[in-house]
Amino acid sequence: MSSAPLISEPQPVRAARVGGLALAGKYPRVTLASAFVALLFLVALVAPILSPHDPLAVNPDNPYLPPLSPGHLLGTDELGRDLLSRVLWGTRVSLPVAFVAVAVGFFAGGIIGLVCGYAGGVTDLLLMRFIDALLAFPGLILAIALVAALGPGLRNAMIAIGIVAIPAYARLVRGQVLQLKHMEFVTATRSLGAQPLRLVFGHILPNLLNPIIVQVSLSAGFAILAEATLSFLGLGAQVPTPDWGQMINSGRTFLNNDPWLAIVPGAAISVAVFSFNWLGDSLRDALDPRLRS
Amino acid sequence: MRRVGLAAACLVMVVACGSGGGGNNQSATPKHGGTATIALESELRTLDPLDSSLLVEREVFYNMYDSLFTIDPSLSIKPGLVKSWDTSDPVNYKFTLQSGVKYQDGTPFNAQSVKDNITRYKTTANSRRKSDLASVSSVEVVDDTHVTFHLKKPDATLLATLVDRAGMMLSMAAVQKGGQNFSLAPMNAGSGPFQFVEWKRNDHLNLTKNPSYWKSGLPYLDGLTYRAIPDVNAILAALKTGDIDIARTIAAKDVAGLKADSGFIYRSTPALGFNGFELNTGAPPFNDPAKRKAVALAIDRYAILKNINFNIGVVGYGPIPPSSWAFDSNEKIYDHANPTAAKNTATGFSFMYKTTSDPVLQQLAQLMQAELAAAGITMNIQTEEFATYQQECANHQFQACGVNWSGRIDPDGNTYAWWHTGGDFNDSLYSNSQVDAWLEDARTTTDQAKRKQDYDNAQKQIVADAPYVFSVFGVSAQISSTKIQGFTLYPDLMIRMGEVWKS
Amino acid sequence: MLTYVLRRLLLMLPVAFLVTVGVFMLIHLTPGDPALIVLGEDRSPQAIAAIHQQLGLDKPIYVQYVIWLGRIAHGDFGRSITTHQPVGTAITERLPATLELGTAALLWSLIIAIPLGTIAAVKRGSLADYIATGITVAGVSLPNFFIGVVLIFVLSVSLRLFPFGGYIPLGQDPVESLHHVVLPAIALGTAGAAINMRFTRSSMIEVLNNDYVRTAWAKGASWQRVIFIHALKNALIPVVTIVGLQIGGIIEGAVVTETVFTWPGVGRLAVESISDRDYTVVQAIVLLAAFSYMLANLLVDLVYRWVDPRISYS
Repeated sequence: MSSAPLISEPQPVRAARVGGLALAGKYPRVTLASAFVALLFLVALVAPILSPHDPLAVNPDNPYLPPLSPGHLLGTDELGRDLLSRVLWGTRVSLPVAFVAVAVGFFAGGIIGLVCGYAGGVTDLLLMRFIDALLAFPGLILAIALVAALGPGLRNAMIAIGIVAIPAYARLVRGQVLQLKHMEFVTATRSLGAQPLRLVFGHILPNLLNPIIVQVSLSAGFAILAEATLSFLGLGAQVPTPDWGQMINSGRTFLNNDPWLAIVPGAAISVAVFSFNWLGDSLRDALDPRLRS
Repeated sequence: MRRVGLAAACLVMVVACGSGGGGNNQSATPKHGGTATIALESELRTLDPLDSSLLVEREVFYNMYDSLFTIDPSLSIKPGLVKSWDTSDPVNYKFTLQSGVKYQDGTPFNAQSVKDNITRYKTTANSRRKSDLASVSSVEVVDDTHVTFHLKKPDATLLATLVDRAGMMLSMAAVQKGGQNFSLAPMNAGSGPFQFVEWKRNDHLNLTKNPSYWKSGLPYLDGLTYRAIPDVNAILAALKTGDIDIARTIAAKDVAGLKADSGFIYRSTPALGFNGFELNTGAPPFNDPAKRKAVALAIDRYAILKNINFNIGVVGYGPIPPSSWAFDSNEKIYDHANPTAAKNTATGFSFMYKTTSDPVLQQLAQLMQAELAAAGITMNIQTEEFATYQQECANHQFQACGVNWSGRIDPDGNTYAWWHTGGDFNDSLYSNSQVDAWLEDARTTTDQAKRKQDYDNAQKQIVADAPYVFSVFGVSAQISSTKIQGFTLYPDLMIRMGEVWKS
Repeated sequence: MLTYVLRRLLLMLPVAFLVTVGVFMLIHLTPGDPALIVLGEDRSPQAIAAIHQQLGLDKPIYVQYVIWLGRIAHGDFGRSITTHQPVGTAITERLPATLELGTAALLWSLIIAIPLGTIAAVKRGSLADYIATGITVAGVSLPNFFIGVVLIFVLSVSLRLFPFGGYIPLGQDPVESLHHVVLPAIALGTAGAAINMRFTRSSMIEVLNNDYVRTAWAKGASWQRVIFIHALKNALIPVVTIVGLQIGGIIEGAVVTETVFTWPGVGRLAVESISDRDYTVVQAIVLLAAFSYMLANLLVDLVYRWVDPRISYS
C-alpha cells in the first residue's frame, strides 16, 4: 500500500470538457470497465437477497465445510458461517469504505489544492509544506498509527485512509489550477471583469474534472486495498462484520483446515480493486492524446 | 499472532514443557552429544531475571540459571541450590545450601552470593522482582552454606516464588563484568546446565554445555539453540521440516494431526493457569450480581473446549486447575450451559466485551456472542489494539475483558492478586472481606490442610459471585521430533533441557 | 542547478520538522501505556509510576517533545522502551533484511515490467498490449498479503518447495538466503511491476516515436537493434527515476509483507513498535522513512532535470 499507484505521468490539460457518454462510445475498454464497477455496486445492493444464508449465523457444529457442500456453495468458516454469504456481504463493507475514504481525501485535499493554487505566495508555500510532510510520512505506517490512536473500527479506518489520500488530491488540484491560471482564456475572462469566485467555479473547476475522474477511480481501488490491509492487521472492521481483509486474516490461521477461507475473500478483493483500477487506467488512456495511436 | 503471557498463553496454544506427568520415554540409555533447536513464539527482551516479564524468557533462564528451589511434575517443592530447609519458624527460614557449586565463570556459589542476589532483586531500580520478594526483610549469612531468610510476616508462598525468577542465582562478578549490556549478553553468569554463547535478536540464541555443571553427568546435549518464530503455522512447518526439534507451542487445531504423525511426539499434562474473561463489578451492568451469574450460566464451556481448543484440556470451573494440590474436584457451580436458568436470573441486557485481534480470540468471542444470544443477552465485541486493551482493562474501563492467566505454582499466585481487595490484577474491583480473610490466612499459614480449606472456601465464593467467568483449563505439552528423549513434562510450561538427550 | 538543490534542501527542513511533530504527537496521544507493555504480568502501581518517571513520561507532552527534539539534533535517538537496545542499533540490525527484501522485490518487478512494457509499447493497441496491461493491472490489484498467503500455502506448506519466511543474511549463505527471499519478494514486487510496466510502456512509446528511431527503422535496422540499442536505453531513464522513488519507499512497502512472512525487517519492527507503544523506535523509523523518501524525490527530480532540460521547475 504505497502511494506509488497514485503517481501519474505528466498530463496535458484539455481545455474542453469530455462527456462521459461520448467516451463510452469511442472507447470500449471504458464501457467494459464501467460495467464491471456497476456490477460491483449492484452486488452490494442486492447482497441481502442474493445470499443464501445470514452471514452472521454461527453454527459451531459445522465448521470448515469444504466448497460444494450441501447448502453451502463455498463451504463454511471456522464458526460454521456460510462463506458465500459473507463474501457477498463484504461488498457492503468495502464499497462504502472506499467511497467515504475517497470523499475525505477528495474534499479535504481538493480544497487545500484549490486554495494553494489560486492564492499562491506564502499561503501556497506554507500549506504545501504540510502536504509534503503528510506525503513524506510513510502511508501505511501513518494509517496504522492513526487507527491505533483513534481505535480500530471501520469509521476510523475510513478517516485514516482518507487522510493518507489527501496529498495526492491536493497536489493534483494545485497543479491543475497553476497550469490553468496561466492559460489564455482565463486571462481573457478576467480582463472582461469576471469576479474571482465566478472564475473559480465557472471556469477552473470544470476543467479539472478529467484527471480527477481518473484519480477518483484509482484511489477507490487503493482505498479498498488499504481497508483490506488494515483489517488484515486487525485494525479495521470489527467482528463479526464480514470484511474481506479480516476474513483473510482468520483464514490465514486456518489455512491447513480450509484454504478457501483465505482464498475466496482474497479473490473478491482482487476483483473489486481490479475493476476500479481498470476503469481508472482506461479513462486515463482515453483522456491522454499522447497514448492514442 | 504474537501475543504472549496474558492474552493467549494457555487458552489455545498448547505449550511444551519439561517431563513427568504423562510418562517418560526412557527406553534406551542416554546418549551424549548433539544440539537441540527450540522454537519460541516470540522474541525475548532480556536475559536477566531482574527485569524479565515474558514467559518465553523463563524458558531460557531455567536452562542457564539455577534457582534456590525446584519442583517435580506434581508441583512439590524440591531442592535446588538449597539442599535442605527448615521452615518451622514461620518468619525465619533456614536454608542449607548445596556445597561445591561454582558459577560458569568459576566464582563460587555460597551464602554471600544468595544474599547479594536477593539484595539485587529487591533494591535495583528497574527490578521487576520487588513484589515477589516483598515478604523478605533481610537475608542473613550464617556461614558459607547456611542462610536465614528473615520475613516480615509469615509467607507460605515464598518457597514457590523462589523456584522462579526471584530465586535464580547469578554470579555477581559476571553481572558487574557485563555492565550495561548484561541483559543482552549474560556471559557465564549462571550455574545451570547450559551457558550463554551468543544472542542475535530475531535470529538465534545459542547456549552451550556447561562443562563444570554441579550435577555430574549432565547435561547430555552439547548445546541449545532458541529461535523466535512468531507465527504458529510457521513453527509447525519448521517442526515438520526438521528445522526445529522442539516447539514450545502450536495451534490447538494442529495437535490431532501431529499426534497421528509417527515422526513426532505429543504428550500433555494439565497446566497451571485458567482461561476466561473478567467482569467489571464496579460499573453497570455487572455491578448487578444477577447479571454476572446469568452470563456465567449461559456460557457453553464444552462448546468452547470443542471448537476453540479442539478438546485439548478440560472445562474450567474455577481459578485452581487440576494440576494443583488445592484443586477442588467437587466444585462445579457453573458447568454445562443453561440458557433457561440464565434467562430466569437476568436477561435482556447488553454489554461490551473487549479483546484483541488475534484470530483465535476473535473466534472465541464470536462463539460466546452466539451462546449468550441464546439466553437473551447481547454481547458486543470490541476489538482493540493490545496496548489499548491492556490499559483499559487495568484501569477498570471495561464491562467485560477477555483475559487469561498463565498460572503460578502456588495457588496463591492464581487467586490473591486477582480477587483480594485491591490486588494488582483485580481489574474487576471485586471485594469480599470473607474472601480476603481466607486468602490472607492461606498465605500465612503453612499447614497445607488448612490452606486447602481456605482455598476451597475462597474458590466457591469467587466462582459463585462471578467477577470472572471461567471457561477452560489448558495443558502443558511436549511437542517434539521422536529424536528427543528424556523429556519430563512439567505443568509450569517450562522446558528443562538438563536431562534431555537426542537419539 | 545549485540554487535549485539548495532551495529544495532548505524546503526539506520545515517538512522534516512537521514530520517530527506529527509522529511524536500521534504516537504519544495514542491510548495505551508502554509501562504496562514492559511490565507484562508483574504490574503494580508503584512499578508503573517508576517506569513513567524513568522514561520521562510524567512530564507534559510538549516538554517531552522538546527534550526528544534536542536529543535527536545531537544524533541521540534514545533506547527502545521494550528492549533497552539503542534505537540506532535496533534499526541497523534489521535494515539488511528489509534492504534484501526490497531489492529482490524490485528486481522481480523489473523482470516482469521491462519485457511486458516493451512488448506492449512495440505492439501498441494490439491484443498483446491489452493482455500485458491487463496482467499488470491485475498484479497491482491483488493485495500483497493475499499473494503472500497463497504463495505460502501452495509453495511452502503444500509443496514444501520454499521455506516459510525467515531471513538468512546474504553474506552467511547466499543460496539459502535467496531461497528464503523468493516468496516474500514476489509478494512485495508484483504490485510494483504494474507501475514500472506502465512507465516502461509509455516512455518506450515516446522514444519509438521520435525521429532518431524512426530514421533507424527506415534505414532498415533490425528490430533487435532498434529496440535494445536505441530505444530501451533512453526509455529506461524515466523508469529509473520511478524505481528511485520505490527505493525511497522501501520501508513502508515492506510492512505488510514482513508481517506475513515473519521477516525480521524494519517494516515489521515499525508495526510491532506501534503495537508496543515503543515511542522512541516508532519515531526514529518514521523519520528514517520520511528522509529516505524526501531524498529519493530530490534525486529523482534532479535526474529528470538533467535528462530533460526542457522541463522547468517553478
